[in-house]
Amino acid sequence: MIAISPTAAAPTRYHNRRRRNGIVWVVVGMAVLVVFALVYLYPFVIQIASSFKTNPDATANPLSPVPHPVTVVNSFAKLFNGSTDFPLWTFNSLVVTLFVTGGRLFLDSLAGYALARLRFPGRGALFGGILAVMAMPGVVLMIPKFLVLNQLGIYDTYAAMILPLLADAGGVFIMKQFFETIPVSVEEAARIDGASTFQIYRSVVLPMARPALITLTILSFQGSWNEFTNMLVAVQSPNLYTLPRGLADLVSGSLGAGTQYPLKLAAALLATIPVAIVFIVFQRHFIRGANEGSTKG
Amino acid sequence: MASVSSPPVAGGAVIGGTAAANRPRRQRRRRGRYPGEALAGLLFTSPAILMLVLFLLVPILMALWVSLTKWTGQGSPFAAGVPFAGGGNYANLLTRPGLERSDFMTSIRNVLYYVVLVVPLQTGIALFLAMVLNQRRLKGKTFFRTAFYFPSVTSSVAISIVFLFMFTGGGAVNAVLRVFGIQGPSWFNDANGLVHLILGGLHIVDPDNPPGALVNHGLLGLSWWDWLSGPSVAMCAIIALVVWTTSGTFMLLFLAALQDLPADVEESSLLDGANRWQRLRYVTLPQLRPTMFLVITLGLIGSWQVFDQIFILSQGGPDKTTLSPAYLSYTTGFGDQNYPAGAAMSFVLFAIIVLMTAVQRWLLRDSDAARERKAQRALRRAQRKQEVSA
Amino acid sequence: MSRMTRPLAGAAVLAAAALLAAGCGSGFSSSAKQPAQSSGPASLQILIGSSGDAETAAVKAAAAQWASNTKNKATVIPAQNLDQQLGQAFAGSAPPDVFYMDASKVADYASVGALYPYGNKVNDPNGFYPALRTAFTYKGTFYCAPKDFSTLGLVINTAMWAKAGLTDADIPTTWDQLTSVLTKIKAKGMVPLAVSPTHDRVDAFISQAGGSIVNKAGKPDADSQQNVQALTFVQGLLKSGLMQYSSQLDTGWGGEALGTGKAAMTIEGNWIEGAMKSDYPKIKYEIAPLPAGPAGAATLEFTTCWGISAKSKNHAAAISFVNAMTAPQQQLAFAKAFGVIPSRQSVQATYESQFPTDKAFLDGAPNGVGPVNAPKVTTVLADYDTQLTQLAKGSPTAVLQRLQTNLTQALGS
Repeated sequence: MIAISPTAAAPTRYHNRRRRNGIVWVVVGMAVLVVFALVYLYPFVIQIASSFKTNPDATANPLSPVPHPVTVVNSFAKLFNGSTDFPLWTFNSLVVTLFVTGGRLFLDSLAGYALARLRFPGRGALFGGILAVMAMPGVVLMIPKFLVLNQLGIYDTYAAMILPLLADAGGVFIMKQFFETIPVSVEEAARIDGASTFQIYRSVVLPMARPALITLTILSFQGSWNEFTNMLVAVQSPNLYTLPRGLADLVSGSLGAGTQYPLKLAAALLATIPVAIVFIVFQRHFIRGANEGSTKG
Repeated sequence: MASVSSPPVAGGAVIGGTAAANRPRRQRRRRGRYPGEALAGLLFTSPAILMLVLFLLVPILMALWVSLTKWTGQGSPFAAGVPFAGGGNYANLLTRPGLERSDFMTSIRNVLYYVVLVVPLQTGIALFLAMVLNQRRLKGKTFFRTAFYFPSVTSSVAISIVFLFMFTGGGAVNAVLRVFGIQGPSWFNDANGLVHLILGGLHIVDPDNPPGALVNHGLLGLSWWDWLSGPSVAMCAIIALVVWTTSGTFMLLFLAALQDLPADVEESSLLDGANRWQRLRYVTLPQLRPTMFLVITLGLIGSWQVFDQIFILSQGGPDKTTLSPAYLSYTTGFGDQNYPAGAAMSFVLFAIIVLMTAVQRWLLRDSDAARERKAQRALRRAQRKQEVSA
Repeated sequence: MSRMTRPLAGAAVLAAAALLAAGCGSGFSSSAKQPAQSSGPASLQILIGSSGDAETAAVKAAAAQWASNTKNKATVIPAQNLDQQLGQAFAGSAPPDVFYMDASKVADYASVGALYPYGNKVNDPNGFYPALRTAFTYKGTFYCAPKDFSTLGLVINTAMWAKAGLTDADIPTTWDQLTSVLTKIKAKGMVPLAVSPTHDRVDAFISQAGGSIVNKAGKPDADSQQNVQALTFVQGLLKSGLMQYSSQLDTGWGGEALGTGKAAMTIEGNWIEGAMKSDYPKIKYEIAPLPAGPAGAATLEFTTCWGISAKSKNHAAAISFVNAMTAPQQQLAFAKAFGVIPSRQSVQATYESQFPTDKAFLDGAPNGVGPVNAPKVTTVLADYDTQLTQLAKGSPTAVLQRLQTNLTQALGS
């Protein structure tokens, strides 16, 4: 801590002291960051290392980052040789993610554009309703969702996994906020040229909304790839399990007795990799997505 | 579901949403400015609205109905002949003594301790990391930011598996503790409450033989001794996981807010000779209030709903000490086929979340305004007193 | 409609239509009336809670055999979590025609009319062990044909047993002998007995003391003197460290505690043999009947039946399927494939000669006590389990009184 400098102190002395203290702070800061980085990343190191370990090695040396001996037979091979339905879960996850992301992009941008630009009766009420719906805690919807899926007769189908995830008030909000930042003049010009509203939306507005669309794509991808509770209440057939549901079953003992951590960790690792890749490639957009809510406050 | 690990767009927008209303109002016109605008607006919004109605509004209404019946999970709950229970399912949870109420209250106790630890910890760590990262001359900021944020984007199920492995009795966490000479507990099998352990450790109370005054009296079906248990050791492991996964997201929010702070305020405070602590206390923190408000709100909403981690890690055990209302609602509905009771639990939970958010909004209201009001009240009181004494 | 909105309207209408079309065949069907029975070849859905690949494969093969013999179709679906999947299926549109139904759940499903009571319509319904028939009888109706059963035995790690200087002659047959054997093992610094922390193990002591949780008339009887005696004995074992719960040893169940050498003995059923063979092949063990208590010998019995859904349109085909699955030869084939004990008395002799190691389990059959046969007690028993884990520092009387109160409330409402 710096003592409060007397106001009479010469400016140069003050600045020297500040610089010296600044260096101390940088060093302390770096140390703190390194320790925390270790805490935040080492679990993944353990995960990666352990999925290449044998069962006894994983149990005996849980902290070691080096598998000894290295094996893939114990974990990765088992995931794909029919002992588990891992390939099927991956396929289902891909299908769901693809449809949910595509569907959200279309529905959200359409609705967001209308709410931002078009005048129609009930617009204000609609927007208010969307804001209210966004505050709805998702977890209380588990039994309700199950009831409605049953009533619609789509329980235990792909539709049950996909359609509920298309209800995405947050996405509509993001798109609306973005469209409001685009200058109206471009659209006006297109309209004078005789373009229809849908044509304007598709050929003029959407291309300009690329950054927002990328953000939305990433959020949808991550959200639906990781989605667990909806899948829990939407389907029961093992051949409709997505990765999180399948992983949950691995843990709850569909492997039979025995803990087999390397296998479980390997499955969890493979399920994380797609999100990790998307995260690293589109990091900027992730961060914008996370901040999307706060910056408007 | 918006689990705690997903980016908080939804909730965040709620808070920020009011900004839209502050925009200068354009001229209001009932109909569109050109032919077909109103129709296009309705058509453009209808698919998204249809989804929201079908999968948010309708389910809630259906579940509300089910929570008022004695539906046994056979056939349609909307068929004629499903017995009506009125508020009976709610009474079982809140007023009628019995197992249902004591289980529900146990879950409320658990999640209370969970919230009380998770929210301050995740907010504090997030703010701390953001402030460290915000130092100007630091190297490798991008790397660290990525490292801290990465756990937030992974699947809650996948990451829970990693923690399950790390927190086994002979796992990585205990291996680290052993380095410091501490014999770690067998985390997910340890039902001992933290407060009980501390009281026992200080020899204030013997946890194996608690005072009768606490054991024999209670509230809502749980003894005071049970209410005061603190989070169990197993719950602490779950808390560690959640704080670890969520603090990254909140750190980003703080970081963005810090970077938006006007630099001249800080500079001028520096010249005023304020030290770091004073600067933090009187300059930075007040300016971060909107973000703080957002982070705490999101934290509260998210942590009351804890489900995925419990489903994977502990299934409510050991000894029901990690039972959360959301998890209890799920098992009551889908496990015991008692859908009405499960639905009733989710509505009580919903009410609690709304209430908590309102309370927090009130507590974190602009304290300057509050101080002013308080001062005015004090002034009025003083005036009255003077009048009385005069 | 104007030109500009048409493509969009198309999309919206399409989405709405898809939903409505799906919604038309409303998922819920009324359960009030008997479903119309279909004629001609049936297509059966069979949901099983499989113990592993061996069981799944064996049931699939048997089902395929039946299907080709009878010109029907049979699809076997192994459930990951049978309880939950069955619950969701019954609340949903199409429950499976045939499914595994655990004896502890029969009352739940029978009481709401979800089960088709076909018990006496199968071949030779009186050929099943009487105790098993009782387990699947609710309010006087024999609901479903027992698939197989298992009983609890005392499983001993022979190497650790020998280390404590014990021989086969020391195998305990009474509670006193059990205590003395456990003391000898503990003296050698080993954990003598590990038991899973659940009423599905501890209640064996209650039966041996002559007590029960719910009496024969279906009334709660948890706080009886016999029960207090039993739990006091168990509490004594726990307090003195002669017995530990498997969770205290950081293991998931008794078999894991035995297999990893953390305990010299455990109390488990015949399923432990498969687990030992696959997970701990090097550990040598033997199985003895549980020691007798003050009221004589008793063990717990676990059993599953072939449930048939009341909503199924294929009752006749389903019964034919169950007949095939419970035929004596088929039962022996299942026993061989995945180690269960046949539910028909007629094959007992053959089974005993083929599986001599299972003798201890089979010997328990006449003294077997089935699970609590009453609806809506799952949460009560779960709460009882919680109380049992804290038995060492609690009071047996308090635990049982709490159980009695909860049972009275659950059964009364």
